[in-house]
Amino acid sequence: MTTMSHKVDHADTAQRLKSLELQAKEAQTTIEELNARDALKTQFLSNISHDLRTPLAAIITHAEVLRDGMLGDLNEKQRESVTGIVSGGQQLLDMIDEILTYVRGAGDQLTLTRTEFSMIELVDQVRMLNQALAAKKKLTIERLNGDDLPPVYADRDKLKHVLGNLIGNAIKFTPEGGRIWIRMSRYAQDADQLVVEVGDTGRGIAAENHELVFQEFAQVDASPSRPHHGTGLGLAIARKLVELHEGTIWVESELGKGSRFFFRIPLNPARG
Amino acid sequence: MGARILVVDDSTLVTDAFEILFRAAGYDVTTAGTVAEAVGHGRASSIDIMLLDLSLPDGDGLEVLEMLEANGRLPRATLAMTGHDDPKIRQRCLDAGCADVLLKPLPIGEILRHIERHLA
Repeated sequence: MTTMSHKVDHADTAQRLKSLELQAKEAQTTIEELNARDALKTQFLSNISHDLRTPLAAIITHAEVLRDGMLGDLNEKQRESVTGIVSGGQQLLDMIDEILTYVRGAGDQLTLTRTEFSMIELVDQVRMLNQALAAKKKLTIERLNGDDLPPVYADRDKLKHVLGNLIGNAIKFTPEGGRIWIRMSRYAQDADQLVVEVGDTGRGIAAENHELVFQEFAQVDASPSRPHHGTGLGLAIARKLVELHEGTIWVESELGKGSRFFFRIPLNPARG
Repeated sequence: MGARILVVDDSTLVTDAFEILFRAAGYDVTTAGTVAEAVGHGRASSIDIMLLDLSLPDGDGLEVLEMLEANGRLPRATLAMTGHDDPKIRQRCLDAGCADVLLKPLPIGEILRHIERHLA
């Protein structure tokens, strides 16, 4: 009787094992299929973004030729209208570039080209680039400190992109007459790390959305009637670029009390 | 006629836009959509500035430079045009003899400034 029951147990276990193996195999196949589809989707995004860029660039060039009066004088209304084509096209192009950067990040195709540069100069440059946009909403953008900081050894273009996205977001979500500031310091727990803060007096982000804002395609307000449109990739890209620098990015914010975005990167990592 | 510019790009949308721009700015413009076409134009007449796209249907844009050099018909300056802000691509273009690498798309004011600078 005992032997018999052992035999049954053994057969039962063997059958279960077989069934588990089968399930694991199926799961593996599903994972492979999903990965292959994900790679296809990434390739599609990359191709379509590239293909959208060419005709759009041509439209912008034609509109600029007209706007600058190279084919004859325009009256004021005509110039305004053509200027609208240029800025609308430019905005679309920026969004396509954002998608391309995201796709390259998702495919691990982004690499760092480190040089030594002054973070203060970079911050001031990005500040200047955004000045006109900020002025339209009567916002001020100030750099509060940083003159005593040493140069940083990092990828200048990628940090410019990070700062551009953070400052761009601050402009977008801060109501008229507000303030945006950039503050830099050495990290209190490790003086070899630099912390950069981009703060604003905007509408703020509820605690439950602090992680969500860094996820790709995420928008706290994703409704079609939302007041601010975009790719929803800006902060996901910023996080990717900061992480490439072996850094971290986070937000401190409360609804109605503005937001402070921070990123921390090594000042001078071992030079390879 | 002003200086002679050869625009090499596989998209006629791009070459048409540049043709209008450069004509309006007083230059003599020729366009090409392939490596073979660009080499043909380069051999047939002397080019002052060549704006060169890197991906062409029949090969790598930089091959145009190689072939024109072999024929002793290099333009005064070649400006590569690329959509990728990649330091490796930039270096490859400079190594191949390009005078500069322009990141597409560039505002027309900047393109014209680059052309003037290389003609000076």
